Amino acid sequence: MRAPAIAALVAGLGASAAAQPSGRVVGTVTVTEPDGQPARATDVIVYMVGFTEPPSDKVTTIAQKGRKFVPDLVAITVNERIAFPNNDPFLHNVFSQSVPRKFDLGSFPRGETKEKDFPVAGVVDVYCNIHPEMAATILVLPNRRHTLAGADGKFTLEGVPPGDWTVFAYTRRTTRPASAKVTVKAGADATVDLAIVRGAEPAHLNKYGEKYHDTGQIYR
Amino acid sequence: MVRIALALLIAACVLPRTAHAGRSFYGWLYDTEVMPVRGAELDTWIQDEDDKYGTRNKETWLSWGPLVGVTDQLELGIPVELEWSDVPSATDPTARRTSFTFKRFGIEARYRLAPPDPVEAGPFVPLVRVAVKRDVIVRNVVRLEADAVGSYEAGRIHAVLDVGITGEVSPDAQHFELHPGAGISVRATTELRLGAEVYGELSLDRVVESWATAGPNLAWTHGRFWLSGVFGIGLYHVRVAPRVIWGIAF
Repeated sequence: MRAPAIAALVAGLGASAAAQPSGRVVGTVTVTEPDGQPARATDVIVYMVGFTEPPSDKVTTIAQKGRKFVPDLVAITVNERIAFPNNDPFLHNVFSQSVPRKFDLGSFPRGETKEKDFPVAGVVDVYCNIHPEMAATILVLPNRRHTLAGADGKFTLEGVPPGDWTVFAYTRRTTRPASAKVTVKAGADATVDLAIVRGAEPAHLNKYGEKYHDTGQIYR
Repeated sequence: MVRIALALLIAACVLPRTAHAGRSFYGWLYDTEVMPVRGAELDTWIQDEDDKYGTRNKETWLSWGPLVGVTDQLELGIPVELEWSDVPSATDPTARRTSFTFKRFGIEARYRLAPPDPVEAGPFVPLVRVAVKRDVIVRNVVRLEADAVGSYEAGRIHAVLDVGITGEVSPDAQHFELHPGAGISVRATTELRLGAEVYGELSLDRVVESWATAGPNLAWTHGRFWLSGVFGIGLYHVRVAPRVIWGIAF
């Protein structure tokens, strides 16, 4: 299911954006539910591929709170770090079996934070081995030109180097990202509109590749 | 599409595996993986040592024990060891004497001198292991074990060097052995690895003699279960020395 997004990211590891005059990409993401009903564009990330940029120093946080990952969708640049603090009064076991970044943080209690770096571009699905209802996705992107769309679907990508690029919109519950070609010129806005269809939360397996045998009630 | 497929293939080949609970890819050798913190695993070892020192002795050892991840780099085990031996009778050369014995119990610690994450640890990972075991038959004998282990991973290939030393100490006597070993393991499929290893137990005194073995090994991982084994062929003072280990993580 993640293959289109992964392929897009790998293909995007091309030119390196040198310091130069830049433009903006502005537009709107339209989100619909599978039945065609319009939906709010919350939790939609818009990103670009085709060029690379160095990572920033920031550490993004995905907290474990109320048996959820908060937020459950983040975008980072290759080689940036993510912190996973446990804010729940019980253990969580954060792990990923995604090919770009497999890891297992073990079980850790409230107050502890573990960090991971992400050196390879791709889509990383993160789960808890104890609580099957917990799921999050990390988009590890080749550059820093990514943003969260507003609730009205509007977005702006600042500082985009001139050139012909591809813009993507992605949300966790979609089978494939929406994409569009865009030509960016220095000092100008390029407009692009994207449409994305939301789907159902996919089922996942535990870190041993098995179905969850219980709902985590023993350890709650 | 060809470029994308090639990039994905390369990425899949060079990405290291997720660290798994205390798993070894080798039969006789310790490896450098440890369990994540608060992980638990049940391990079992079975080994045969036939015709050691030309004595026509047949020894089978079974070691069993739970392991827990104390930190992300330290795991503790509580092994118990059973021995089943079949040896020629001392009084009648045509007869044999068989015994099955609860031989030892103890505690062991394995400390990985690198982050548990293979990406953060890099290709070379060292580990130290120490164990203290109490002999059940001869109650005043304590067995001390220490291993320095180093592994190196490059793509499909995993190599390990394990240098161990053991000592059996009592108020009346002591005996020390050096246990060097090395092995290589190549990933054949996502679950199966094949390789070879060499291992020896070299006596550092005249209490017992030395022996050494080498042979092909395999390792299989499936979900929470892993198994590794070697069919050791005798190089010196032993005919065959196969060994199988398996573990189930919880």
